[in-house]
Amino acid sequence: MEFTINRSAFIKQLTDVQRAISSKTTIPILTGIKVVLTASGLLLTGSDADVSIETFLSVEDEANNLTIESTGEIVLPARFFSEIVKKLPQDTFSLTVTDGYQTEITSGSASFNINGLDANNYPHLPEIDTDDNLIFSGSILKQIISQTVIAVSNQESRPILTGVHFVIENGEFLAVATDSHRLSQRKITLQGANDSKYDVIIPGKSLVELSRMIDDSNPDIEMRISENQVLFILGNTSFYSRLLEGNYPDTSRLIPNESATGIEFSAPKLLSAIERASLLSHESRNNVVKLAINAAEQKVVIYSNSPDVGNVEEALEFSNLSGNDLEISFNPDYMKDALRSFGQTEIKVAFTQPLRPFTLVPTEDTTQFIQLITPVRTF
Amino acid sequence: MAELNGITIDENLLKRKIIHVDMDAFYASIEEREHPEFIGKPLVIAHDPRKNGGRGVVATANYEARKLGIHSAMAAQEAYEICPKAIFKAPDFTLYKEVSSQLHEIFHEYTEMIEPIAFDEAYLDVTQNKKEIKSAIQVAHLIQREIYQKLHLTCSTGVSYNKFLAKLASDYNKPAGMTLILPGDVIPFLSSLPIGKFRGVGKKTAPKMIDQGIFTGKELLEKSEVELIQQFGKLGYFLYKRVRGVDDRPVEWQRERKSIGSERTYGKLLMTIDEVETQLRYIASLVSETLNKQQKHGKTLVIKVRYQDFTTLTKRLTLDEFIRNDAATIYFYGRQIFDEILGAEKGIRLLGLTMTNLAPIGFENMKLPLFEKKVLNQPL
Repeated sequence: MEFTINRSAFIKQLTDVQRAISSKTTIPILTGIKVVLTASGLLLTGSDADVSIETFLSVEDEANNLTIESTGEIVLPARFFSEIVKKLPQDTFSLTVTDGYQTEITSGSASFNINGLDANNYPHLPEIDTDDNLIFSGSILKQIISQTVIAVSNQESRPILTGVHFVIENGEFLAVATDSHRLSQRKITLQGANDSKYDVIIPGKSLVELSRMIDDSNPDIEMRISENQVLFILGNTSFYSRLLEGNYPDTSRLIPNESATGIEFSAPKLLSAIERASLLSHESRNNVVKLAINAAEQKVVIYSNSPDVGNVEEALEFSNLSGNDLEISFNPDYMKDALRSFGQTEIKVAFTQPLRPFTLVPTEDTTQFIQLITPVRTF
Repeated sequence: MAELNGITIDENLLKRKIIHVDMDAFYASIEEREHPEFIGKPLVIAHDPRKNGGRGVVATANYEARKLGIHSAMAAQEAYEICPKAIFKAPDFTLYKEVSSQLHEIFHEYTEMIEPIAFDEAYLDVTQNKKEIKSAIQVAHLIQREIYQKLHLTCSTGVSYNKFLAKLASDYNKPAGMTLILPGDVIPFLSSLPIGKFRGVGKKTAPKMIDQGIFTGKELLEKSEVELIQQFGKLGYFLYKRVRGVDDRPVEWQRERKSIGSERTYGKLLMTIDEVETQLRYIASLVSETLNKQQKHGKTLVIKVRYQDFTTLTKRLTLDEFIRNDAATIYFYGRQIFDEILGAEKGIRLLGLTMTNLAPIGFENMKLPLFEKKVLNQPL
């Protein structure tokens, strides 16, 4: 195997593939990156068994400046290989597999010889044998991920809750995540979904990695789902993730249809106030803030008390307060995560009772995106 | 504000009446009480080294044995070599614990402000006491007499206005003694005190002190505050105050438990994962029971494993939220951490689980009924 390639084009793809490689893997060959050269181009693969990323540098893409002397394949230690390539002196570099798995990397007058591994020992990537695909706009998918992964559980005792539930039905796409203390749900109409029907749970960690790969240059992302794998195709890059097994709990019944008290806030202003209140609550072992709503006086006040440090009280700015008076306590961290997911918008918060979950939705469109938070019961 | 030996302090600190009660050779005295035939003979509380091949250490010894040079933490074998005629009695901690709680019943007749240090030692703040006795000396006498009459055991008491001095005082005249230290006595009393007797000055620090020419409180008094901090850090900061008779620590009678745990030692070593799992399940159920009883929950779970060769490992896992108080959840995480330690092949002689980072269950983050089938189709 022998080729020469443009270094910066190569580094860009290498960086994506490296996202899948974990230094903690128990399978030594997975600390490596698989490099396969065919007549049509160069295929790079990285995997930690849960997530696999494959990217293709075509011989026809002029930016790659790829010249092929002889085809072949090799697995190279990912960490050294990427550090070497990033530090090479010239715009292009050459890679030659010489004796056995010895690999020579040269650029200008610099020359490295590193030990590779037999590519035949690299595990086979999952195969997705379906032509049924769904198309997302990159920016929408990125937004959906960021809005839902915040509610994913990080407790392994309920593995199913560590994923985001994707449901595709009747041309509609729904993503929901919950750690049982809060829930986040996003809905969109999916153009071209037609009669596709899917119900899968994708690990939150995989989605976080995927969203890091989506930049402005990825206008469309293709999603394909098989029995136990999902594949996302971003241009020349394929992102595979395992799916979580099991049935996701029915969350639709958890979202209240009615409310007894409703208020509107500016999300960033409410966020700042909650951040101030949580400065002290974090110090206390009870990470709780209390919200007191007085409809008659049109007053909304937030409190937090941390006996060792002190307490804080702030009257909140709001609009359109209606319904019953209410006092409710909650974990400010859940509230902060939820508010950040709304960005710079106006939101509507709806309460039913002090010990019932409450919801946050954008004022402009109350059906597409909802955050639900359970309160804290104090004794 | 008041001034004491050059340090300005809150005058209320000088008005405190603190008693340190220290039982005399507690375990050994209980054994003598139960076995009058032991009285007058050297008695060592330890497993008999002739019966278990020389393992084990001395828990304590009576005054006859101490005169021969036998002391606690010494290898039982060594004690045997010093005095082959000594009586070796295996410790009976259940009995000692019971006597200790009888002791506390007596303390509670006088005050609720009790800080237990060990089974046989406690600080009492009697500034305000239930019997409304003004003199702390009288309270100390009454406690000593009542302990003797009811439990047939002797104790030594130290009376002063702070814990540091009260403890030194109880040690001053043992056994069955009582010592009072008043603010005016501090300088003469501490000046002659060997440096090793100051709390915090142990085997490591004492030689450094002696290198600096500090043999007793007298030389310690001559050092400036900055000098002591520079050379001994936090300890230096406190010693400057202590040697001047200043100690503002309260008697911590409401001290909360920092952790709740349970451990088991196994005569027959655990050799397989199956055995470990069974035991972890059992220990998790004990921990969860105690947590529930005390209405506490924690965020950090610690597992402790001691192998056949006595190497001991601990591993911990901390979650962002409180770990649910049920045996299955505690077992789940305990089992998960165990995977990170070596296996059971080396033979496990001790296994333990401890929950720390505790907080009272004063609040509960409510949960969505995700896995409850009954409420299906009912809005929350």
